[in-house]
Amino acid sequence: MNSEAASSARREFRTSLRLKVACEFSAVRSATLVVRDWLAGNGLPEADLGGWELALVEAVNNAVKYADDRARLLPVIIEISCGEHDVEARITDHTAGFEWPAEVDLPDTDSESGRGLFLIKSLTDSVSYLRSSGENLMVLSKARAASAKEVLPDITELQNRLADTETALTEMTTELASSYESLVALFRYSSELGAHTDLKDFSQRLLKDLVQIAEADCAVLRLISPDGKRLDTLQVLPSSENISLPALALAGTTVSVEIGAARNREDIWFGPEEPLSADDPLRAVMPVGHGVCHAFYVANQFVGTATLGRLMADKPFTAAQVNLLHTFIDFLAIQIVNARLLDERTVARVTRRELQIAADIQRSLLPAQIPACPPFELSAACQSALQVGGDFFDVIPAGDGALLLVIADVMGKGVPAALFAAVLRSTLRSMPQLFDQPGELLATANRTLYPDLSRVDMFVTAKIAYLDPRHKKIVTASAGHCPLLVWRPGATEAEAVGQTGFPLGIEPLTRYAQIEVPLPPGTLAMLYTDGLSESRNEAGEMLGEQKLLELFAQTAVQTTDPHGGKKFLLGQLADYCGQATLADDQTLILIRHNS
Amino acid sequence: MKIQNRDALTVVVSGLVELVAANSVQVREQIRAALPATVLNLDLDLSLMTFLDSSGLGTLISLHKTLRSRNGTVRLLKPAPNVLQVLSLTRLDRIFEISK
Repeated sequence: MNSEAASSARREFRTSLRLKVACEFSAVRSATLVVRDWLAGNGLPEADLGGWELALVEAVNNAVKYADDRARLLPVIIEISCGEHDVEARITDHTAGFEWPAEVDLPDTDSESGRGLFLIKSLTDSVSYLRSSGENLMVLSKARAASAKEVLPDITELQNRLADTETALTEMTTELASSYESLVALFRYSSELGAHTDLKDFSQRLLKDLVQIAEADCAVLRLISPDGKRLDTLQVLPSSENISLPALALAGTTVSVEIGAARNREDIWFGPEEPLSADDPLRAVMPVGHGVCHAFYVANQFVGTATLGRLMADKPFTAAQVNLLHTFIDFLAIQIVNARLLDERTVARVTRRELQIAADIQRSLLPAQIPACPPFELSAACQSALQVGGDFFDVIPAGDGALLLVIADVMGKGVPAALFAAVLRSTLRSMPQLFDQPGELLATANRTLYPDLSRVDMFVTAKIAYLDPRHKKIVTASAGHCPLLVWRPGATEAEAVGQTGFPLGIEPLTRYAQIEVPLPPGTLAMLYTDGLSESRNEAGEMLGEQKLLELFAQTAVQTTDPHGGKKFLLGQLADYCGQATLADDQTLILIRHNS
Repeated sequence: MKIQNRDALTVVVSGLVELVAANSVQVREQIRAALPATVLNLDLDLSLMTFLDSSGLGTLISLHKTLRSRNGTVRLLKPAPNVLQVLSLTRLDRIFEISK
């Protein structure tokens, strides 16, 4: 008996045909003619061909009839299979479908429609119609006319067939049993997923089950490192303190089936015929026997490799067992990728929350009102960039009608920067006796903050100004901050006055020089942070100190009070930036001497 | 499809190969357009027809109703066995005059 005959003894031999038909009436006939020819080729008598042809035309017409615009884009699928004793057709469509009537009867003779289902029913032995959301299936079947003569096989052949059937049954039972075990295991993992987020623990149990179900002795699971350069070892089974598999560099020279599988995106089998190379690290776990290494992917992204080993030389893995490896590992891969996505999302959420907290702190530091200081008039603004920076300003009454102006930029973002701004603010406010000596005030603040700032490698640029209304002057000191801009009436250009000096937090014993600048009537002065001069336009070009100086001079000429000046200047900056996102905080204090 | 007047009262349609969902509405309208109120009888020569489905039956019934209202008839001439089978399965062989 040849193998083809054996297979027909095992289960009835059926041939089948599958056709996709466009969901329109004009496509129906040519498709059913193809089916008719195919059935004729399978020996169906002429009498049956006509019946099938008509039944199929009616079935497909029905699908087309109930198609809406969306469904018309999806094909109707005809699957027809032909066995020794019967023919079965399955028609799948993606339409809204229809309600199968309780009784399929003929309509009145005058009715121009409603005979399709009756024809289908009359021409076949059984019809069933399964309607579901978005997909409907009609199954038609009809017995074939009995073939001319049944040849009885002799007794030896019958015995052979019986033996074949038994072998087939045993194979199927084994296959079914392992499929059942794997299904049960996968269901169990799925239900445990919510509780178990520890990938290492989860993968270990999954791998242990896989080893058992696939009748393996050992397994190695490796994952690609976050930088994509190494294969890190996640699991080695059986786990042993004597065996440790170092990470494998993908670009390295080590000969390894795991690297081979990862590079070529394929399963690699090894065994007595094709043993592992002498220096393959896997030899530590699988010195002899058979093995298969599976490289696994999710959405085309390489995730890792899983290798199963069996230490017996005479028992290679079967296709069904390799199938188990694929099923288990592909399931694990999805969990790994999900866990990573969850991590990324959590980080993003925490970051968002942190930025919100930082923004709240930053806002709370700003003075609610700016005290009056005649004959000077002041206006201030602090615009936060998306990634909250550490800008802040303060305006503190300094006695005798004077004001202490503070403008600072903590290098860094988020909550730490906001916290240092808060600390700087209270440190400065706690030393009113030094308000009229900005240089000394900065030096003292630096000594106080230095230990904390240097520990976290942060620093602060700050400018402090004592605004003296009695002597119509401003006394400034600067810790690495932007200069003071001054425009005097009648001048064509503005002037940048300032000294640099170390920022706070760099050197504990820094001394800060003071500069006195007279502010005669009509003068406009500005303290600002580098967010202004470093504004970028859509092309990414920076505004720069010189252009800012020009904009400031324009502001001085075109406006008379500092509120209008602030609006004008910020408007000019916004025009410059266009659609570009604000990259850094923009903070400024404008001081106008009203004549 | 060919539509001819045999005489003042009778129109003959021939050359139809298929009458199915894809063409049934169009065929019905073309034949109707060729049936002025004076025509009472329609002879459909089905000798070339290889396939008829339930939509095609709808066209035949529609024409039948039009002519019945004029006290006329639709005659089906020389249908092939498979076409005749569709008519008899749906019991419409009883309402048409069929000439083999």
